Amino acid sequence: MSNAVEIHELDYRAGKSFAIQDLDLSVSTGSIYGFLGPNGSGKTTTIRLILGLLRARAGTIQVLGEPMPLAAPAVLARVGFVPEQPHLDPTLTVRETMRFRAAFYPKWDGVWAEQLLQTFDLDAERLFGKLSKGQKGKVMMLLALAQRPDLLVLDEPTDGLDPVVRRDMLSALIDYVSQHGASVFISSHLVHELERMCDWIGVMDNGRLVSHMPMEQFKNGIKRLLVSEAPADTGSAPFAVLARDRNGAASETWLVRGWESDMTAWFDGRGASVQSIVDLDLEDGFVELLRTFRRAPHGQEVL
Amino acid sequence: MFDHIDPRSPTPLYAQIAARVRVAVAAGNLRPGDALPSVRQLASRLRVNPATVVQAYRELETDGFVELRQGAGTFVREVRAERRAGERAHQAASLVRRMVAEAGRLGVSVDELHAAIAEEIGARSP
Amino acid sequence: MFRVVLYGQWKWSRIVVILGTLAGFALPILSVQGATSDAANAMKAGELLAVIQSWGVLYPVLAATIGLLVAIATWAPDHRGRHVLALSLPLPRWRYVLLRFAAGLVLLVPTMLGVLAGAVLASATATLPPGLETYPVALAIRFALALAVAYAVFFAISAGTTRTSGIILGIIGAVIVVQVVASAAGIELDLTSPVQAVVMNWPGPLAIFTGRWMLIDV
Repeated sequence: MSNAVEIHELDYRAGKSFAIQDLDLSVSTGSIYGFLGPNGSGKTTTIRLILGLLRARAGTIQVLGEPMPLAAPAVLARVGFVPEQPHLDPTLTVRETMRFRAAFYPKWDGVWAEQLLQTFDLDAERLFGKLSKGQKGKVMMLLALAQRPDLLVLDEPTDGLDPVVRRDMLSALIDYVSQHGASVFISSHLVHELERMCDWIGVMDNGRLVSHMPMEQFKNGIKRLLVSEAPADTGSAPFAVLARDRNGAASETWLVRGWESDMTAWFDGRGASVQSIVDLDLEDGFVELLRTFRRAPHGQEVL
Repeated sequence: MFDHIDPRSPTPLYAQIAARVRVAVAAGNLRPGDALPSVRQLASRLRVNPATVVQAYRELETDGFVELRQGAGTFVREVRAERRAGERAHQAASLVRRMVAEAGRLGVSVDELHAAIAEEIGARSP
Repeated sequence: MFRVVLYGQWKWSRIVVILGTLAGFALPILSVQGATSDAANAMKAGELLAVIQSWGVLYPVLAATIGLLVAIATWAPDHRGRHVLALSLPLPRWRYVLLRFAAGLVLLVPTMLGVLAGAVLASATATLPPGLETYPVALAIRFALALAVAYAVFFAISAGTTRTSGIILGIIGAVIVVQVVASAAGIELDLTSPVQAVVMNWPGPLAIFTGRWMLIDV
């Protein structure tokens, strides 16, 4: 089993307006896969499909080598899920909540759960319903990790939480991943967090997976060039020009994709010169990618 | 030592981590035999992919700065004085390159830069 | 697994279980108030039977109420969490439903025992006019069955999505409210009898609710 998650030609429809079409996605075992996309693009739906909470119309989903949702009860014992909204019983204390979960997961690690309680600075006797948003988030992360899963699926786990809480949660996550070699599938709006930890990135827009590649390739792919005496015609360029903006009389800022260092020669041959080349960080790259995709006619290969 | 790792910088994260170790060794802050934090600890502290730390440590091992001892961890090796000096020279050159490029962007001439350096150094030395 | 599910449901329905047990215990005892040995205050057989019968109406009401409340408490945490927890647990849905159902049943036992204890105590302390007998055990068994049936029906309704079960329970509630208001205002409106006729008289578990509930009878 080489992939933690494998999705082929997935088709899902909800009502008349929303659809996921022809989705192909895979998460290699041991990798940390970041899932980006604007609101409503289908990220949460994809996660629900992976967990077997929804049933697809067509296509296949395999999680940890087993078909979903058919093998869901067995597979879910090995999957730790941190959902967007805290969904736990508000009348139970933190400790009672832990006891509840422990009863369902054979690999539950009580010792580590206690350590995490300390690390997260949580009061075990407080009612779950009375916890702050950040504390609830930490409890959910604790529960998912103490299960000792082989795959962690996180749907915007740090959304709306303060930086200290986010840091603690993600540290614990990385700590577990380094010990255990688990795979992680994490969707988030906080692009900077994903940038640090993910080795693969998938971008979703409007029900389609717009981009799916290793992180370095995504980041290195898009660059911002400062060009003087810029040529008017870009048809023959060996790279793709995503955008051009004029900065005053003599120079322009170009956004290009597929750049390689020897391509400065193309400019030299046309009496232009490249003053600087800047890598775009993940956030800018993500924004530009979406802009480009939305401009391109449907079905056209973008990245 | 590992603070301010910047995912937005064009330098890949593993290279940034490796560079910090090299600088620390060159400056004598890390002595031969000192242990580097474990992959697990460092990855967790920096919230980066453990594979990134592994890559950094492997590169340092290839360059001869550290050795990976199975089961025990990663330890700084004895690095010859010339090697350390060479590393410092490399860092200095890199610093100057960045400074000159930035000066160019700001429209500061080379002479103006020289003057500023002389003044700054003059002000600092006893 | 059953223990933790039971514990969680206990936390939600503690108050209902305690009140139900107390009410179940009190009901039979209150109903035999007239059966004293004091010649001056003792009732004649006919009067006593009438009193018993009128108190008897409350047994099915108690069974339906407790059954409803425990069923709602059973599903309440799932509805609040939009079923995400239940569906992401590593066990088949039917097993989860079974766990919840069984836990709710266990929580009904105190109320059943309350009625049994009350009926036995009432039977022991009442002085009966000649010709009448007490049937505490039969009454308690019938109550237990009615409670279980009511619970099962409301459990099934609540097990749907939050919206569906809310709608169904809302309709039932609205019909009852309209009926009560209409009766109070003296308006001739009978919504519940046709429903009752269909539902209760149809040979099935709900028939247990119909008829007279008599602790003391001939």
